[in-house]
Amino acid sequence: MWNEIKGLFGARRASREEAKGRLHLVLAHDRAGLDGSRLQDLRGEIAAVIARYVEIDPESVELDVERVSRDDTHLRVSSPLRAR
Amino acid sequence: MGRAIVITSGKGGVGKTTTAANLGASLAQRGHSVVLVDADIGLRNLDVVMGLENRIVYHLVDIVRGRCTAQKALIRDRRIDNLYLLPSSQSDEKESVSPDEMRDLVRALKGAYDYVLIDCPAGIEQGFRNAVAGADEAIVVATPEVSSIRDADRVVGLLAAEDIPTRLICNRISAEMVKRGDMLSQDDVIEILSLELLGAVPLDDAIVSSTNKGMPATLAGARSAAARAYENIASRVTGEIDDVAVAQGIGFFARIGRALGLSPA
Repeated sequence: MWNEIKGLFGARRASREEAKGRLHLVLAHDRAGLDGSRLQDLRGEIAAVIARYVEIDPESVELDVERVSRDDTHLRVSSPLRAR
Repeated sequence: MGRAIVITSGKGGVGKTTTAANLGASLAQRGHSVVLVDADIGLRNLDVVMGLENRIVYHLVDIVRGRCTAQKALIRDRRIDNLYLLPSSQSDEKESVSPDEMRDLVRALKGAYDYVLIDCPAGIEQGFRNAVAGADEAIVVATPEVSSIRDADRVVGLLAAEDIPTRLICNRISAEMVKRGDMLSQDDVIEILSLELLGAVPLDDAIVSSTNKGMPATLAGARSAAARAYENIASRVTGEIDDVAVAQGIGFFARIGRALGLSPA
């Protein structure tokens, strides 16, 4: 019974929202021209630059390409600093 | 001078050819002279969707190569006045025609017809470049699916780079599935692609049977939901109607509700 109710509300919403989320991500990368290996190279180089100035774990550097609108795509770099 | 409109999508199988056939028939029904150009060299389809495959003698590549005049290659649709098909070649390669040659051909056709609708092949290679070469404007057809929208976005970028004004047709929308949350809505597609909507065409069995018969739904006697949608799109193309909501037959109260934020856009 609970599953049917959940099916009516929660899970049913999912596929449309999932499609939207996936599209935003895919289009952000497409429009930035950054595919998997280029993104990895970029991440590696940025991590190396940051590591020259502050102490970080190069593996924890994350890159996100986010498409705000058609003409506005952001590249976000996040890098947790190691506690001194 | 007529208007040349390319119908494109990137991805195959989303309804470019069906859109070209139905929009063309609908424009002709409104009294405009229309020539449908099948720009898919090597994989011609528009002739069978139009049911004119048995009447082809010459084709697009014959004109470009100077083997016949444009008049000789054009097939007049006997079911309706003012509608013509310029079939593609089934045996040549896409590279047998250059973008410059296409531009000249389309310009010549624009001199004789009100609308030149160019059915673009799938993909973004030479066939695409040929099809858009002579176009004044573009219609991008997308279905509410991730793969179709992704490819459409790519094509929209290429059209923008060529400065070709582009509008969107959302094809095969199922209102019921959107309501259930199992399909992207036309507004989702518009938002993602940031394009002006020319119209939305509902998922409709009538399209399958009319394609089987080689009779565009807009030429068939019975008015299917998809045929009505194409007719509304035609009136948006000509500028008779410039409100999509009116063109889609969305009721007055629903529109007020929408404007007030009471019902979903």
